[in-house]
Amino acid sequence: MASIATERSSDFYASLQPAEIGRLRPMSESAWRSFLEAGIPAPKNEEYKYLSFREMVSKHFGAPTAFDCTESDLQNFGLADTDGPRLVFVNGRWNERLSHLDAEPGVIVQPFSLAPGFDFEDIGSLAKVGKNPFVDLNTAHLDDGAFVSVNGTAAQPIHLIFVCVGDGHSHPRVWIELAPGARAAVIESHAGAGASFVNSVSEIHLNQDSALEHIRIQTRSETVFDFGWTEVWQESGSDLRSTNTAFGGRLARTDLNVFLNGENCHCLMNGAYFAAGEQVIDNHTRLDHAKPNCNSFELYKGILAGRSTGVFNGKIFVHQDAQKTDAKQTNQALLLSKQATVNTKPQLEILADDVKCTHGATVGQLREDAMFYLRARGIPEKQAKAILVQAFVGEVFENVRCESVRESLQNMLMNKFERNASSIEEM
Amino acid sequence: MKLLEIERLEAKVEEKQILKGVTLGIGPGEVHAIMGPNGSGKSTLAQVLAGNDAYEVTGGSVRYLGNDLLEMDPEVRAAEGLFMAFQYPVEIPGVSNLYFLKAAVNAARKHRGEPELDAFDFSALAKEKAQALGLDAAMLQRSVNEGFSGGEKKRNEIFQMAVLQPKMCILDETDSGLDIDALRIVADGVNGLRSADRGFLVITHYQRLLNYIVPDFVHVMVEGKIVRSGGKELALELEAQGYSWVEAAQGSAR
Ligand SMILES: Nc1ncnc2c1ncn2[C@@H]1O[C@H](COP(=O)(O)OP(=O)(O)OP(=O)(O)O)[C@@H](O)[C@H]1O
Ligand SMILES: [Mg+2]
Repeated sequence: MASIATERSSDFYASLQPAEIGRLRPMSESAWRSFLEAGIPAPKNEEYKYLSFREMVSKHFGAPTAFDCTESDLQNFGLADTDGPRLVFVNGRWNERLSHLDAEPGVIVQPFSLAPGFDFEDIGSLAKVGKNPFVDLNTAHLDDGAFVSVNGTAAQPIHLIFVCVGDGHSHPRVWIELAPGARAAVIESHAGAGASFVNSVSEIHLNQDSALEHIRIQTRSETVFDFGWTEVWQESGSDLRSTNTAFGGRLARTDLNVFLNGENCHCLMNGAYFAAGEQVIDNHTRLDHAKPNCNSFELYKGILAGRSTGVFNGKIFVHQDAQKTDAKQTNQALLLSKQATVNTKPQLEILADDVKCTHGATVGQLREDAMFYLRARGIPEKQAKAILVQAFVGEVFENVRCESVRESLQNMLMNKFERNASSIEEM
Repeated sequence: MKLLEIERLEAKVEEKQILKGVTLGIGPGEVHAIMGPNGSGKSTLAQVLAGNDAYEVTGGSVRYLGNDLLEMDPEVRAAEGLFMAFQYPVEIPGVSNLYFLKAAVNAARKHRGEPELDAFDFSALAKEKAQALGLDAAMLQRSVNEGFSGGEKKRNEIFQMAVLQPKMCILDETDSGLDIDALRIVADGVNGLRSADRGFLVITHYQRLLNYIVPDFVHVMVEGKIVRSGGKELALELEAQGYSWVEAAQGSAR
C-alpha cells in the first residue's frame, strides 16, 4: 500500500508509538509493525482517494494526558438522550464515575477489564490486523474498550460514549455480541472538542436470528481528525439496522463493513452526514452477500455547505453462492453551496446470476420551486431552507427505531444548520 | 383605500417580455376575474404579485394596502395577507401538509406579533377547514401535494387559503382539473371567504366557475395587457364569441 510520510522516524509516527512497547500483547506488537509498514495512506491510494492527510501528518499528536470530564461537559456535547446503561470513555480510557453499568438480566455492558466472559482472543477476529493501517494502529494501542453482550432482549438502548478532549490521539475499541435470538439497540456517540486524532474500531458479532439496531453519531468539533471502523459479522436470520451519522470532524472517515455469512439475513445501512466550512466527511461501506436469500437496503444522504467535501463509496459484493440476493443502494447529496463538492462511487460486483441489485446516486440543490412555494405561504427564507434540509434527511432519521435518538438527531441537524445558515447560498 | 393597485406593470422572464403594462385596481369586497388566451401572461401576473423572482419586473408599480408590494419578500407579502393559489401546486416530498401549514400559520402570526398556535389549536382549526372542503384527514398527514391528483392539489390550495384567511386572494385557474362536485366545493369555499374587506382576483378560462363565484368585474388579458374590462356579462360574451372577438375589436381600435 502506498503511503506518505514514509520517514517513519518523523514526529508524527513517533508521537503515535504505544507507550508500553515491549510489554504489549503479541497482537499489538505485530499490529504496530504492520502499521509502520503500511503507514498513513498516500494520495494515490484508491481507498483514500479524496482524503488529504497532509495537514494531519504535519501534526504531533502525543499521548493524551486528561481522562476526565464532567457531567455538564457531556451535556454540552449535546449527546443523544438515553436511559439505561452507558459506558463513557474519555480519550480512550474508561471513566467509571460517568458510566452506569447497571443492566437488565442477560445484558452485560462493561469495560473489557471488568467484563465477565470477555476474551481478548476475540478482539481482532473480525477487524483483522494487516488489512488497514487505522485498524492496525488502533490494535497497537489495544488496552481497554467497551464490551456489550446481550442474551435475550435488551429493552433499554445501550449507550457507548467516546469523548475526546485536548490534542492527543486515542483509539477506542468496541466489542458487541448478540446471542442467538437476542435483540438490542446500541448507540455509539463520538463527541468532544480539541484538536485530537481519534481512531476507533468496533467489532460486532450477530449470532443466528439476533437483531441489532446500531447507531453511530459523530458530533466532534470541527478540529478533530476522526476515524471510525466498524466490522459486522451476521449469522443466518440476523438483522442489522445501522444508522451512521456524522456532523463533526475536520476530517471524518467511517468504514462500515458487513459480512452476511448466513441465509435470510436483513441488513439496513443508512447514513446521513452534514459537512460545512472546510470539513471533509468520507463514508465507505462494504457489504458482502456471501450466502443466498439475504436482503440489504442502503441509503446514504449527505448535506454539503461551505467549501466542504463529501465522499460516499459503497461496495456490494455478491458472492457466487449468494443466489436470490436482493440489494438496493441509494446515495443522495444536497449541495448548499457552489464551493462544496461530493464524490460518489458505487461499486457492485456480482458473481451470482439470480439476484436483484440496484444502485442509484443523485446530487441536487435546494429546489427553487419548493423554496418559492414555502415562502409564498409566509415561511421565511431561512426556515424554508431548514424545512427542506430536514425533509431531505427525513427518510434516514425516520428509520431510527429509538425515538429519543431520532429527536436528538433532528436537534443535531438543526443546530448544525443554524450554525451554518449564513453560508447557505441561493444556488 | 384599494387593496391592490397595479399600475402599468411590466415583467419579463428569461429575456422575454410577458407583461406589457398591466393596470388594475382591486378594492375590498370586490371579486375580479381575469380571462384570456393561453400564454397571454395571466400566471405571470399572479407569480409577480406573489413575489416569484424568476420573473423580473421591468416597469410599473404595485401597491398593496398602500405599501410598495414589489419591495417585499414573498414571505412578507404572504404574512401581510396576500395569497396566491398556484396553477401548478408544488410537490414537496418529506414535508407533511399539516407541518407545512402550521409553519405558515405561525410565521404569519409571528409577523403580526401574535402568539403562535400550539399543535392542539392548530390541528382543530385545520380539521374544521379540511372537513368543510371535503378533504380527508389522511391527506393532511401526507407530504405536501406529493402524489395528489390534479383536483386534490387544487382543493389543497383552497384549504390552505381557508386556514390562512388572507386579505387578498389570487386564484390561478383553481377550477382547471376539478370535477363538477369539486368545483362546487371549491366555489363554496371561496364564497364562504367573501367578505367586505377581502378581495379576489380569479384567473379562469371558464365561465362556469363564474356562475358560482360571481365577479364584480371581468378583465380580458391578451399579450400581456388588459384589453377589455366589464361586468360579469363580459364573461358570457367571451364564452359565446371567443377571444378572437376581443382581439379583433382591439385590432380595429388600434
Ligand atoms: N419560466 C419561464 N420561462 C420561459 N418562458 C416562460 C416562463 N414562464 C412563462 N413563460 C412564458 O410566458 C408566457 C406567458 O405565460 P403565462 O404562464 O403567464 O400564461 P397564462 O396566461 O397563464 O397561460 P395559461 O392560460 O396557459 O395558463 C408564455 O409564452 C410562457 O411560455
Ligand atoms: Mg396560467
